Amino acid sequence: MTPIPLSLYVHIPWCVKKCPYCDFNSHQAKGEIPEAQYSDALINDLESELPQIWGRSIESIFIGGGTPSLYSAKAMDQLLSSLRERLTIRPNTEITMEANPGTFEQERFSAYRQAGINRLSIGIQSFNNKHLKALGRIHGANEAQKSTHIAKQAGFDNFNLDIMYGLPKQTIDQAIADLQQAIDANPTHISWYQLTIEENTLFHHSPPVTPNDEILWEMQQRGQKLLADAGYYQYEVSAYAKEGKQCRHNLNYWQFGDYLGIGAGAHGKISMPDGEIKRHTKYRHPEKYMGEGINGKARSSEKKLATEDLDFEFMLNAARLKEGFTKELFETRTLLSFSAVEEKLNTLIQKELIEYDNEKYKPTDKGWHFVNDIVNSFI
Amino acid sequence: MALANQNIRNFSIIAHIDHGKSTISDRFIQVCEGLTEREMDNQVLDSMDIERERGITIKAQSVSLDFKSKDGETYHLNFIDTPGHVDFSYEVSRSLSACEGALLVVDASQGVEAQSVANCYTAIDLDLEVVPVLNKIDLPAADVFRVSQEIEEIIGIDATDAIHVSGKTGIGIEDLLEQLVERIPPPQGDPEAPLKALIIDSWFDNYLGVVSLVRVIDGKIGKKSKVMPMSTKAEYQVDNVGIFTPKRVEKNELVAGEVGYVIAGIKDIEAAKVGDTFTTVKNPAEKPLDGFKEIQPRVFAGMFPVSADDYENLRDALDKLHLNDASLHYEPETSQALGFGFRLGFLGMLHMEIVQERLEREYDLDLITTAPSVVYEVETTKGETISIHNPAELPAVNYIEEIREPIIRGTIMVPQEYVGNVISLCIEKRGIQKEMKYLGNQVTLDYLLPLSEVVLDFFDRLKSVSRGYASFDYELDHFEPAPLVKVDILINGEPVDALSIIVHKDFSQSRGRVLVERMREVIQRQMFDVAIQAAIGGNIIARSNVKALRKNVTAKCYGGDVSRKRKLLEKQKAGKKRMKQVGNVEIPQEAFLAVLKRDEN
Repeated sequence: MTPIPLSLYVHIPWCVKKCPYCDFNSHQAKGEIPEAQYSDALINDLESELPQIWGRSIESIFIGGGTPSLYSAKAMDQLLSSLRERLTIRPNTEITMEANPGTFEQERFSAYRQAGINRLSIGIQSFNNKHLKALGRIHGANEAQKSTHIAKQAGFDNFNLDIMYGLPKQTIDQAIADLQQAIDANPTHISWYQLTIEENTLFHHSPPVTPNDEILWEMQQRGQKLLADAGYYQYEVSAYAKEGKQCRHNLNYWQFGDYLGIGAGAHGKISMPDGEIKRHTKYRHPEKYMGEGINGKARSSEKKLATEDLDFEFMLNAARLKEGFTKELFETRTLLSFSAVEEKLNTLIQKELIEYDNEKYKPTDKGWHFVNDIVNSFI
Repeated sequence: MALANQNIRNFSIIAHIDHGKSTISDRFIQVCEGLTEREMDNQVLDSMDIERERGITIKAQSVSLDFKSKDGETYHLNFIDTPGHVDFSYEVSRSLSACEGALLVVDASQGVEAQSVANCYTAIDLDLEVVPVLNKIDLPAADVFRVSQEIEEIIGIDATDAIHVSGKTGIGIEDLLEQLVERIPPPQGDPEAPLKALIIDSWFDNYLGVVSLVRVIDGKIGKKSKVMPMSTKAEYQVDNVGIFTPKRVEKNELVAGEVGYVIAGIKDIEAAKVGDTFTTVKNPAEKPLDGFKEIQPRVFAGMFPVSADDYENLRDALDKLHLNDASLHYEPETSQALGFGFRLGFLGMLHMEIVQERLEREYDLDLITTAPSVVYEVETTKGETISIHNPAELPAVNYIEEIREPIIRGTIMVPQEYVGNVISLCIEKRGIQKEMKYLGNQVTLDYLLPLSEVVLDFFDRLKSVSRGYASFDYELDHFEPAPLVKVDILINGEPVDALSIIVHKDFSQSRGRVLVERMREVIQRQMFDVAIQAAIGGNIIARSNVKALRKNVTAKCYGGDVSRKRKLLEKQKAGKKRMKQVGNVEIPQEAFLAVLKRDEN
């Protein structure tokens, strides 16, 4: 049996300013970020988790936020060293850091690269000043453009651009122009996703006017064609990559792999040797997290995933993948027998939402647009 | 001839909803110390949750209380609580006929309402002594003079010595009891004559079997005696008799004039029907008491479990409800669209709502209920007459000689300023005015109305056009031929039998259009276009279209908080709970009731 891959997620919870659409665990930085104190908490948090993952190597690391690029290069370097001391991290392991265009300086990014970060994910969102403002971003179109140059100059040959569409008052042409500009920057990966109004965000309380379904549909059709023509292969609902440049870290989520989460509000999912799958969550608020994390007590909750929820959680992720999944993947990741889902999959095949090519179950072109309906049948 | 106990008083309270029947009865129990303070839960008599929530009594109940009068005598009062809604007029008449008198309780700030009038007439017909009572006199808006006049003018009973009370504060309650004892006559009846006991109500108790509430008119009914309901002549041995104080208290026998319960090893309430007469096997009465009727349901609707797996559960639930509700009729029905379910017959709309609510609440069933319809009589070209309980059963046009629809005679009472609105509504509903009386500020309107129009949305409309002031009561009058047609609804070209309606020809076009439009609003966008059409026979009279949903997919999902994603999806899924898959289209419950909630604009 192939072992279940294990990734590491590190959460840096601070931002210069909270964006009105963002529902991630981010907090406005007030003055200096307490880097040293936070890093200590991260390391103690990690150490308390080590017994859970004894002997397993780390397949990928993702440093997300918040805005991790608010961390100084030195602090980032120390943090990565501390991680290497405690974990088995092979050379060439994908180590991604999220960065926001408003925080780009050549020197610091070169230093990040030196520290061992080998992939960036840049939160561009749009190249249009009007839309950036509507999204509450701190950067403008110029900074957005500049950030991609800096990334390249700093030695990042593997980076992702986050672009959103369906922005308030956005026209189809504007959405396509944003995407074209992203493509022109020649990233290896583009995450192109529709603006979604999430609960617990400012937008949820006072929703902006966003384009109607027909416009969104047209944007999506044209955008997907544009990306495909430019050599970006769509491998997930919102993820497009040049050949061989899929995000290994995210792919591991979608293939229902394991991941350890450290940092404020981080989530983890670990398969235990006895066959149990556990989820854990860390304290969300940075102060609380640092207070508890320093004593290795950063977990706010831990729970065993109920057997009856496994199929749903697997599908929630795997049904998002263009390439779908094999029986083996399902069985090794959930430790359930495939018969648990076979009947439902067959119904979905009848409904032409899923197809089976004798190796993989994957969403059909139609199923691809109705992933929620696919997933819903496993609740 | 022996005489029944002359210190007994059997009475009912006639009151409109919210006019204070329950508060007054609670006061009676308090004054007569039927329950200790600790046992007093407000409104003791309305024991079902739904009754309490809606403030309506569904089942008849009774309380026996001992009242020590100022004249030194102790009187034995039997208060028989009657169901308080137009759907249950037969039950009301049976409850009333168990009494010698009734208190007409009128809210002194509101005045007389149609339902009280109807019940009051029933009481007068049954020769009851009606004692008018003005309640809520503590309210600043109380207008004793006006309301007394209304009672005299509308009901025609002397209201000069109406008793003024406040159930809330307790003012006048003792005086009311004294007056009750004085003015309501004692029971007649002969304790030595052969047994005649009127069944006021029957219900099923899990431990005791069927419990019947009875009024002994003549004779006695005691433990171990053998009795039979006179309509069936089936013999039962009496296990137990007694009274409610309101706690159940066993006695050796119930004697002429008394009200109490009888338990006789009966397993099915059909065997102890409301209005039937118990007599003894050994020395039976010659004739049963007057007024017994087999009650027929008037409103029918299909009920289908959302999940086919629940069919058996629905059957069990109906069996159980039927244990306590003989007026509920049901038989299996198969719909092409909705699968296996039941056709249920109800006394009226309220009865239907109550049953639906109980099935969902107490038995946790997800049901699709079709729009209610009435019974049509169809005379076929072959000369047969058939009853149609379900629009889908209507024969093809070429087999129909004549369709007859049920017509009711409705009484509406409304303040003058709304008369115009009410008349317009009645005309719109194909009503024919029979009588109009101005009495004080109140106007009484008598209309013949097709029951199908009343079932539709008449109550709601009447309330809204009269700002809630109109009250309404009705009884079935006759069947009448009418030019009726069946309108079918087609979803993606397939007729959905459960959506068919029978309507007057003149309304068929407009109703078809409205219905299609309503369907378009309630049917959610699906993965494909949904075409909705209304048709009479082969003619399409209206059409509309629900455009396909483009996509349903969450943009972002990166490990993280699965529980929140799950909750969102669960919400989405819960929204589909009350949907029924017809062909490959998901149709929500509202669609089946869309015919009821027509938008008049």
